[in-house]
Amino acid sequence: MCKKWCVGALLLLTVVAAAWGQKVLNIYTAFDVDEAKIYIGAFQQRYPDIKVEWVRLSAGELLARLRAEAGRPGASLWLGGPSDTFILAKQEGLLAPFKESLGWQLLPERFKDPDGFWVGIYTGFIAFASNTEFLKKNGLEPPRSWSDLLKPEFAGKISMAFPYTSGTGYTRLATLVFLFGEKEGLEFERKLSTVVSHYTRAGSAPVTEVGLGEVAVGIAFSHDVIAKGTAKGYPVTLSFPEEGTGYEIGAMALIKGGPQLDLAKIFYDWMLSAEAQSLFKAWSRVPLNPEAELAEGLITADMIKLVAYDAMWAALNRDRLIAEWQKLTGF
Amino acid sequence: MRNELRRLVRDPGLFVVVVLVFASLGLFIAFPLGRVLQTSLFPRGVFAPTYFKYFLEGRPYLLRPFLNSLTVGTLVALAGTMVGFIFAYVVTRTDVPGKAVFRWIATLPIISPPFLLALSAILLLGRHGIITRFVQANWGFTWNIYGLPGLVLTETLAYFPLAFMTLEGVLAGIDPALEESALDLGASKLRTFTRITLPLATPGLAAAILLLLIRSLEDFGNPIVIQGRFPVLTVQAYLAITGMYNLPLGATLCVILLIPTVVAFILQRYWVTRRSYVTVTGRPSTAGLRSTEPWIKWPLFGVVCLLSTIVVLFYGMVFYGAFTKLWGVNYSLTLENFAYVFSTGATYLTNTLKLAGIATPLGGILGVLIAYLVSRKRFPGRATMDFLSMMNFAVPGIIVGIGYILAFNTPPIQLTGTAAIIVLVFIFQRMPVGIREGIAMLQQVDPTIDEAAADLGAGFFRTFRRITLPLIAPAVVAGMAYMFSACITSISAVIMVVSARWQLITVALLHEVDNADLSQAAAYGVVIVVVVMLAIFLLDFLVGRVLLRRGKHAR
Repeated sequence: MCKKWCVGALLLLTVVAAAWGQKVLNIYTAFDVDEAKIYIGAFQQRYPDIKVEWVRLSAGELLARLRAEAGRPGASLWLGGPSDTFILAKQEGLLAPFKESLGWQLLPERFKDPDGFWVGIYTGFIAFASNTEFLKKNGLEPPRSWSDLLKPEFAGKISMAFPYTSGTGYTRLATLVFLFGEKEGLEFERKLSTVVSHYTRAGSAPVTEVGLGEVAVGIAFSHDVIAKGTAKGYPVTLSFPEEGTGYEIGAMALIKGGPQLDLAKIFYDWMLSAEAQSLFKAWSRVPLNPEAELAEGLITADMIKLVAYDAMWAALNRDRLIAEWQKLTGF
Repeated sequence: MRNELRRLVRDPGLFVVVVLVFASLGLFIAFPLGRVLQTSLFPRGVFAPTYFKYFLEGRPYLLRPFLNSLTVGTLVALAGTMVGFIFAYVVTRTDVPGKAVFRWIATLPIISPPFLLALSAILLLGRHGIITRFVQANWGFTWNIYGLPGLVLTETLAYFPLAFMTLEGVLAGIDPALEESALDLGASKLRTFTRITLPLATPGLAAAILLLLIRSLEDFGNPIVIQGRFPVLTVQAYLAITGMYNLPLGATLCVILLIPTVVAFILQRYWVTRRSYVTVTGRPSTAGLRSTEPWIKWPLFGVVCLLSTIVVLFYGMVFYGAFTKLWGVNYSLTLENFAYVFSTGATYLTNTLKLAGIATPLGGILGVLIAYLVSRKRFPGRATMDFLSMMNFAVPGIIVGIGYILAFNTPPIQLTGTAAIIVLVFIFQRMPVGIREGIAMLQQVDPTIDEAAADLGAGFFRTFRRITLPLIAPAVVAGMAYMFSACITSISAVIMVVSARWQLITVALLHEVDNADLSQAAAYGVVIVVVVMLAIFLLDFLVGRVLLRRGKHAR
C-alpha cells in the first residue's frame, strides 16, 4: 500500500517537474488548424523541451490582433499568411528583424523582406474549387475565367472569404485590381457580392463548403483546394482563371516585444530547413527551400498564368481598398 | 437620506462592503461600457462621430445590419412567444400525457450553447443537409437555409424556452375560478379564452416578447454560423474589431445595437412588470380548469409533440454528426472526432472548466451579496447599485467583450491576454442571474430574523454569514449551477478576450465551424453538452444536498 503511494507520488513529482522545466513558445498562425498541427507537431518532436501553444487566426484577424496588442503581444512568432499583411505589420512597427537567420540569408531577394522583418516560406495561387457533382448534374464546366463566376447557374452558390479577415480574401481583391485596374476590379467585386451565397472569415473554408455541396464554387488558394478538397475525398475539382491569377508569398516573422523571442528563433530557423519545408508536401504547398521534397503532381508557378502581383502596393493600399470594398458591397 | 448615511457609518462592515461593491461594479461594468461610448463618439479624443453620420446617411454596411437585426428580433420574438405560449398552455391547462418530457425538452436549448442549433440546422437543412437531400431526391425542390430563414428558425428554437418558462408561471398564476365563472355564465370555451385567459396573460406575453427580442438582438453564436448574406449587428461589430481593428466602427455598431436592446430592457423591466395582473391570493391553484375536450387538447398535443420532435431532432443531429467520419461525404460511424476533441481540444476543455470554476463561486458570492444589500439594506445609491448590477443582463455580450478590450488593453489596467480578464467577463456578465435568484429567495425570508440578529449585537458580516447565507443557500446553489453552465456555453463576450494561452472550448468549436469541419464541431458540441449536464447534476447533488441539510438546521 505504502509502496503504491510512494510510486504514485514519485510519478506525480516527475510529471510536475517535467511540466515545470518545459519552456513555452506562443505562436499565432494563419494556417488551417489541421495543417498547423502537422508543422507544430513535427517541431515538438524535434524539440521536446519546448512546448508550443498556438492560436489560429485568419491573416487579417491576426494583423488586427497585433495592432490591438501593440507592443504587448501574446505570441512571439507569426506563422503563415500572405506577405501583404507582413509588409503592413513591418510598416507599423509590429515585427522584429532576424537577419542572423541562415535561412533568411540564403533565400532569394524576392521572397523576403530586405531588412529581415519577414521571410517567405511558401507560395500559393488563387484558384477556383467546384463541386463535381453539381457540375455533372447541371451539365456545366468548372469556371475557367473570372467572368464565368457571374454565370446565372452559379448565382447564389458561390462562397469566398472577407477581404478584411482573410489573407486569401484580400489577395483575391488585390488580384482583381491588378488584373482589371482599381475601378473595374472593385466593380467586379461588387458584382461578385451580388451572387455570393455568403462570405467566410477563413480563406480555406469555401473549399470544404464546396466539398459538402453547401456551395457550388469557392475561391481559395490552390493548395487548400487540394488538401482540404480532393485529397480529403470530397468531390472537388480545381481550376484557374485564364486571364491570370494572383499569388501570395506566404511568410513568417518574429513579433516585436514577443515574450519568448529566443524560442521563436529556433522555430524560425527550423521552419526554413529542408526537413520542415518537406512537410509542405502534406498540404500541397510550394516550398521555398530548394532542397525540400515536393508533393506529387504539385502545381507550380510555371504551369499557370499569373498577374503581376505587387505585394508592396497591395500592402500599402490595403486599408483604403477594404474601406472602398465595404462601401461598395455593404458587407 | 441622512438617516441612511448615519446607519452606514454606524456599521463599518456594511460601509466597506458597499464601497467595494460599488468600486467593482464601476470598474468592470460601467467603465468598459463608457469606453465603448467614448470610442464611438470621440475616436481620437475629439468629438467626431463619423460612423454615426454614415449610419444616418444610410451607408449599407451600417444601416443594413441594423434593419436585419431588428427584423430577425421581431420575427423571433413573435414566433418564439407563440411557441412558448402553446407549450405553457398545454402544460398548465390540459391533461395530456408526457408533460415532464415536454418540460425537459424545453430546457435543452437553455443548457446548451445556442449556436449548436445553427450547426445542426446546417446538418439538417443546409444545401447538403439530410432533409434537403431527401426532399430534393423525392420532390425535386430545394431552399437556402443561410440568412433570414435559418436565423429565425434557430433563434426561435433556442429562445422559446424562455417564453415558455415566463408564460408557464403567468398561466399558473391566473386563478381558474375566473375562467370557471365565465364558463358558468354561459361563455363558450373560445370566448373564455379570448376574453379572460388571454387578457390576463397579456403582460406576461409582452414580457416574453421583449425578452426574446433582447435575446435575439444580442445573439452572436447563431448568426456567425448561419447569417449568410444577411449581416446582423453583433457579427458586424465583431468583424469590425477582430477583422479590421476599426475600433470606432466597432464601437458605433455596438451603440447602434445597444439602443434597441436597452429600450426593450427598460420597457420589460419597468413598464410590463408593473402591469401584471396577479389574480392569485395565497396558494397557486394547480387544480382547476383543464381543457379535457379532445378537440382542443389533442390538436395542441400534436403541435407540442411536433415542436418537441424538432428540438430533439436538432440535438440528435449534433450527436449523429459527432460520430460520422466526414460530414457530407462519408457517413460511416467513428470515434475519431472524440479522439480529436480530447487531444487537440483537451487544453481548451480544461481551460474552460478551470476558469468557469474560478468565476462561479466568486460571481455567486458577489451576486448574493448584492442581492442582500439591494433588498435588505438601506444606504445611499441603492437603486444605482441595483441598476448597475443588472446592466450586463441587457447589454449584449459582444458589447461587454468589446468594452473589456477597449478598457483593459492599455495601462493603468492591462489585462488582455490573461486568464483574469476571462474570469472577470464570466463574473460580471453572468452574475445578474444569481442576483435574481438571490432576491427572489430573500423576499421569502422574514427580515425580522436579520433584525433580531442585529439587535442581539451581530455586525454585518456575522448576520450575513450566520443568518442570511444558510437561509438562501438553495438559491445560491441553483444560481451557481446556472452560472457555471452559462460560463461554459458562453461565446459572445469571451470571444473578444481569449488569447493564445487561454483559449476556450466554445471558441474552438466555432473555429471548426469556420473551417466547415462539421463532424469535429459536432463532437465539441456533444462534449460541451455532456459536461454541462454533469456539472449541473453534480452541483445539484453534492453541494445542494449538503447545504440544504445545513440550511434546514438553521431554519
